[in-house]
Amino acid sequence: MSPQKNPKTTRMIILGPSANISQTELVRKLHMMELPLTIKSTCYGAVIHGEEEVVKQAIEHIREVDPCNIFTKDRGFPPGDPRRCRAKRGGAREGFHQLEKEFELLDFVSKALENPQRVEIKKTKKVSPDLFKEIAQECEK
Amino acid sequence: MKIAIFPPNSLILADLVERRGHEALVLQKEIRKKVTDAEIDSPPLNITEEEPIKGLKYAAIEVPSGVRGRMAIFGPLIEEAEAAIIMEDAPFGFGCIGCARTNELCMFNLRKRNIPVLELTYPTTREETMDVVNKINTFLDSLEDKNG
Repeated sequence: MSPQKNPKTTRMIILGPSANISQTELVRKLHMMELPLTIKSTCYGAVIHGEEEVVKQAIEHIREVDPCNIFTKDRGFPPGDPRRCRAKRGGAREGFHQLEKEFELLDFVSKALENPQRVEIKKTKKVSPDLFKEIAQECEK
Repeated sequence: MKIAIFPPNSLILADLVERRGHEALVLQKEIRKKVTDAEIDSPPLNITEEEPIKGLKYAAIEVPSGVRGRMAIFGPLIEEAEAAIIMEDAPFGFGCIGCARTNELCMFNLRKRNIPVLELTYPTTREETMDVVNKINTFLDSLEDKNG
């Protein structure tokens, strides 16, 4: 594959359940940025497609609207790709079920981002050979 | 820093990593390289017969081609990683982690690399989620400290 000069990327913008803006407002704000992007309104927020730098710029600006409730993730397929687009293939798009599952947790993630706490991370240690032997012997009993 | 995440397509993990100014090594970036390639621009395919061959670098020939095909895509991400966040027991809806053997192999390869790794369990409740988010943020901040 020949490397592209300005590689194009696709990003999904997902609004959390407690977001202060609606999908329509989100799309309107994206349009108001007047950036050379393809913008598609979706049930979870929006999909934007364009040159990497421009997409990054749009993401930075849109996050400022509601930093703890706007989530973004990369998407491999461009918007409306017949291999993924629901309009062409019917049924749920691949990745929908995952998004559905993660959406259930987004409200809690927002709360955690609003009230950050420093926690201690316990490092897991390797099991020593002696302890492993003990466990094996106990299991054999 | 380049952070590998597992599940490699997780919205929460990728978003949290990017919020802290790191680069999340997500599966979608690898997939994009494949699906925007003119050679395989014919639905419904998104990999070629080359992938199971490339996967031989990570798994033996006896290993099913599905594992090798997946490893051809996950492998470069694992190699590129400077740190990793692993979230175990994610729901099966996470499409690309539907193959348990590939998941084990990916986690094994990440642990084997001797890079800082944060291991978590997929949260299901409010308390667990808040704890997971705080742990991820603390871990990412500690990486920044190490790097100066």
